[in-house]
Formats: sequence, C-alpha cells, structure tokens
Amino acid sequence: MSKLNDRVFGLVMLVVAVAYYYGATQFPVPFGGTEAVGPETFPKLLAVILAICSLYMIVKPDADNPWPVSRTFLELGIAVATLIVYALLLEPIGFILATTFAVGTLCWRMGAKPLRSYLTGLISGVVVYVLFTYGLELPLPLGPLEMS
Amino acid sequence: METLHYLSLGFGVALQPENLMFALIGCFIGTLIGALPGLGPANGVAILIPLAFTLGLPPETALIMLTAVYAGAMYGGRISSILLNIPGDEPAMMTCLDGYPMARKGKAAEALAISAIASFMGSLIATIGLILLAPILARFALTFGPAEYFALFVLAFATLGGITGKNPMKTLMAAAIGLIIATVGIDLSTGTQRYTFNVLELYEGVDFIIAIVGLFAISELLFFIEEKAGPGREMIKVNPLKLNWREIGSIFPTTLRSGVLGFIAGVLPGAGASLGSFITYTLEKKIVGKKGYFGEGDPRGVAAPEAGNNGASSGALVPMLTLGVPGSGTTAVLLAMLVSLNITPGPLMFTQNADLVWGVIAALLVGNFMLLLLNIPLVGVFVKILSVPPMYLLPIVTMVAFVGIYSISHSTFDLYFMIAFGVGGYILRKLEIPLVPVILGLLLGPEMEKNLRHAMQISDGDWSILWGSGLSIGLWLVAIIGLLLPVIVGPILRRRMQAAKAKTED
Repeated sequence: MSKLNDRVFGLVMLVVAVAYYYGATQFPVPFGGTEAVGPETFPKLLAVILAICSLYMIVKPDADNPWPVSRTFLELGIAVATLIVYALLLEPIGFILATTFAVGTLCWRMGAKPLRSYLTGLISGVVVYVLFTYGLELPLPLGPLEMS
Repeated sequence: METLHYLSLGFGVALQPENLMFALIGCFIGTLIGALPGLGPANGVAILIPLAFTLGLPPETALIMLTAVYAGAMYGGRISSILLNIPGDEPAMMTCLDGYPMARKGKAAEALAISAIASFMGSLIATIGLILLAPILARFALTFGPAEYFALFVLAFATLGGITGKNPMKTLMAAAIGLIIATVGIDLSTGTQRYTFNVLELYEGVDFIIAIVGLFAISELLFFIEEKAGPGREMIKVNPLKLNWREIGSIFPTTLRSGVLGFIAGVLPGAGASLGSFITYTLEKKIVGKKGYFGEGDPRGVAAPEAGNNGASSGALVPMLTLGVPGSGTTAVLLAMLVSLNITPGPLMFTQNADLVWGVIAALLVGNFMLLLLNIPLVGVFVKILSVPPMYLLPIVTMVAFVGIYSISHSTFDLYFMIAFGVGGYILRKLEIPLVPVILGLLLGPEMEKNLRHAMQISDGDWSILWGSGLSIGLWLVAIIGLLLPVIVGPILRRRMQAAKAKTED
C-alpha cells in the first residue's frame, strides 16, 4: 500500500513550518523594546512543533486512503465550483435565484431528478428568504427580482 | 446550600417564557440534527451559531438554545441507529448493536421508547453530577496561575485525540495548525501585525465561526458526494408502541449504572461520549452475563449505551464550564459561542456570570424533561423527516450554512473563506488528521499565548516557571500520559470497537 499522501503532506507542512518561522523572525521590534516573550515567541514555538510533526509524518507515514478518481473527482470539483459560483452570484442576482441554482445543482449532481432538484432549490430559497426578511427582519439581497 | 441558592437562581432564568420557548426549539432542532446521518452535533451546533447571533439573542438565551440543541442531538442519534443501522452520530454507534436487531424483530417503537427513557435517565444523573461537581472544580481552578493554565491547555490538546485516537502525532499536528491559524492578525498586546500580508480582511484574524462551519459543513457535503450516498437507505417501519411499566422497570438498574459510568467518562479528559457508550455496553454485557441476549435485540443493550452517551455528553460540560477547556468537538463549538459572546469561560464565570452558568444548568434539567416528552409521542415526526434522502437534505443544510455566515457580516469574502476551509477540512479528513484539535487550537490560541506571556512576565523570562509548581507538574504528567496512552492501549480498544461494529454490519 502506498504511503505517499502522508509523506507529501508532511513535506508541505515542513515547508509551511519553515516559512512560518522565517515570518516570525521578520516582525518589527515592538514599541518599548524587546521583552522575554514578544509577538514572535509563540509562533516560533509552534513552528518547531509543526516541523517535528511533519518530520514524523514523513518518516513514519500511515497507509493512504484512496483519493477519488476521475468521475467522482469531477463531481467534487463541480460541487466546489457550484459553491464558489453561489458566493459569486449571491449579491448580483439575489438570494432566491442564486439558491435555486446552487441547491438545485447540488441535489441534481447528488442523484435527484433535475426538475425536482431545481424545484427544491426554488422552494427552499423562497422559504428561507421569507423567513429571514419577514420573520427575523434580516433582509437578504434580492437582485433583479427587486424591481418586479 | 450555596449550590441550591444558585440553582434556584438558575431556574429563575431558565423558566422565563422566552428562554423556555428557545429551549424547546433547541430540543426539537437538536433531536433532528442528531437523527440525520451526516449532520453531527458539532456540525449542527456550528451552523446554528451565526443564526443565534443574527437573531440578536441575549447571551443566556442563545446559550440555553444551543445547549438544548446539544442535549437533543444526543437523543436523536439513536433514531437512525435503530431504524437504519447507521449511527446518526459517532457515540450512537453502540446503540446499533441491539437497537437494529430489536427493530428488525418488529419492536422498533419499543426500542425507540426504551432508548428515550435511557437517554433521559443518563442525562438526569449526569446533570445532577454536573451540579454537584462543577462548583467544587471551579473553586479549585481559581488557584490556577498562568503557568498552570498553559499546562492545562497543553493537556487539553494532548488528550483530545482520546484514548481511541489513532495517531497522536496527527492530533498534535492538527492542534499546531489550528494554533498557527489563530496567530494570524494583529497581536493583541503589542499591536504587531502577524501574517496579515497586508490583506485588510485578515487584520482582525480568522473568524473561528467561519472556520468551524467550513470545516464541518462543507467537508461533510464533499464526503457525501464522494460516497454517493445520495438516495439514502431503506428504513424499518415503526410499529405501534406496546410497552408496560414492568419492562421500563427492568431497564432501570441498567440505566442507573450506565448513567454514572457515562458521566465519569465524560468528565475525564480524553474519554468522551463514544468511549462512554462503549464501556457501558461492555460492562452491562458482563454483568447480565448469559441471561441476556446481547447483540440480538436485548432491551438492556439499547438502554446501556444510550444512558452512557447521554451521561457522557452532560459530563463533558464540566471541564468546558469550569476550566474553559472543552473535551469534545461539540463542547468546543459551544465554547466558541461563549467566546464570541465575550464571556471568558473558566472558573470566574461561576461568580461573574452566575445567572448565565446556572441558567444553562437549570435549562439542561428542564430541557431533559422536554426531550423525553418530545421523543416519546413525537417520534413519528422525526422518523418522517429522517426519510428525506441526503441528496435533498445536504444541499439545503449547506445553503443554511451559507445564509448564516453571510448574515454575520454581509461579506462574500467570508463565504470564499468558508469554502476554502471546507476543502481544507476534506483534505485533512482524508489524511486522517482530526478536525477537532484544529478548531480547539483556533479557539484557545489567543488565550494560550496570553497565559504564556503572563507566566513569563512573572518569572522575568525564566521558562522553568511553566513546570514550577506541583500542580503544573501534575498537569504536564497527565498530558504526557494522554499522548502515550493511545499508543499503548489504543490499538486494543480500537480493535474491540471495530469487532463490535463489524458484527452489526453482517
């Protein structure tokens, strides 16, 4: 069984630990001179701990969990992309439309029928919008729907 | 006597109509959260925190609601264990062992009722334990200085992986990652900018609520997509309930033993609810011996783990409330709520915020009765909601998480941050690096650094102050044992738990 995951992650974290330590040495000296424990002491301590753990992971890695391949990986990519687009669209096109799109796409990709998926999205969007705007008096953006 | 005085004060807070209403809402939502597979208690409470904020609830009401959610989630976990053979949350795993066989025999309603009563007993015993133990521990904790606190934080991280944890180095690494993220932002005592890269949004540091919701909710969605668990599983139909008092009486000794044991497991660092339910089940099997038919639907096998895990979950509140050091993921999330309400958790809370602490404790008692009432007649409602397949449920839960985070600051930057944490959480879970220490690191980071600085100021830069008193040496020792024990005892315990789990799956 491959043990590459832990090794690669350990290596990445080791680089992070070194960069983080270097970052701590670059802090400007605080006003009033240096103290025994300045803003850099705790980060330096953490960098050392992280480096030790990383080295341990590189030297004694656990067996890998399989990463998702081709199709599933694509599905995960679609899900993350959907979430990013959701955040992107939330203000321009408003909460209800963005939610219809995002919840609908996620339901559909998880195996529901397209029509039912987007209907679920629309209904949940409207319900939450009404609940927030009228029930809790926290207005959510409405986008172009605001005109009509 | 002092305790009784405070407790009556607490009931005064908990019995206000508004607080009662929010406790009831919390109990209901909590049971749902616990019942739905893929929406664990920590995740559920995390999603609700931003909502509690935007509602503008007073601190005690917000905390009462979330504690009710927490207690409810422990009740709810059993429903899917019994009907689907999938634990709704991790501690409910042992309930599958006898609950599912009982349901298959056409006794689903009885299994649900018995487990509700056992949950009630477990919680009740543990809440009484909490009332007795917490003030004593809080008074003791007042003697802690900064050096002791620093050691205590180290202890919390060292034992967080639990005795059943797989790789203590990974727990430590997770804690380091969390603490590192916590150092981003302007240093509070000197005003130095640390790792902000001149990004304005990073000046105030990383909001841990965004991190928590991202790490739990978004990574959970990704895991469900990967496992293609969209359509859900077939569920056993619930029969009409036939239960007499004699049967309830027969599980009484079981719940009593298991509740006490569960409470102890909850209070101790590193044990937690999962181990609590495991120990109680194993012990019950030993005590009953050959007379029982454990594994084939023995009611006592349903009662023991349920009383155990509910006892443990209330027990876990003891270190969280008295020391400000949570022992589990969900209590860590509750602590996040406290910190963001500007309440410093720890022993001082018992004197400075007495009405809040005792209000929450009293609400736990009241909530427990509500939960029992909710869970016996209304179990059908929960069963109905449980039959909604994850492919509709998880996208909606994700949407609620989005709305919650967005409504805190109305900034889409926070949403991207949350997604990034979600992807990061997914990768960490794949590598079997636990998420709870990351969150605890994020939460306790500033407090830990502050205590280190105070200790150093007292000693004028002499590091040996950190192990300068008997108490701190003791704490360090427990921390070291906490790190080493999983390596020695862990494999044995894990193998037993695996064996028990494997038995239900064939």
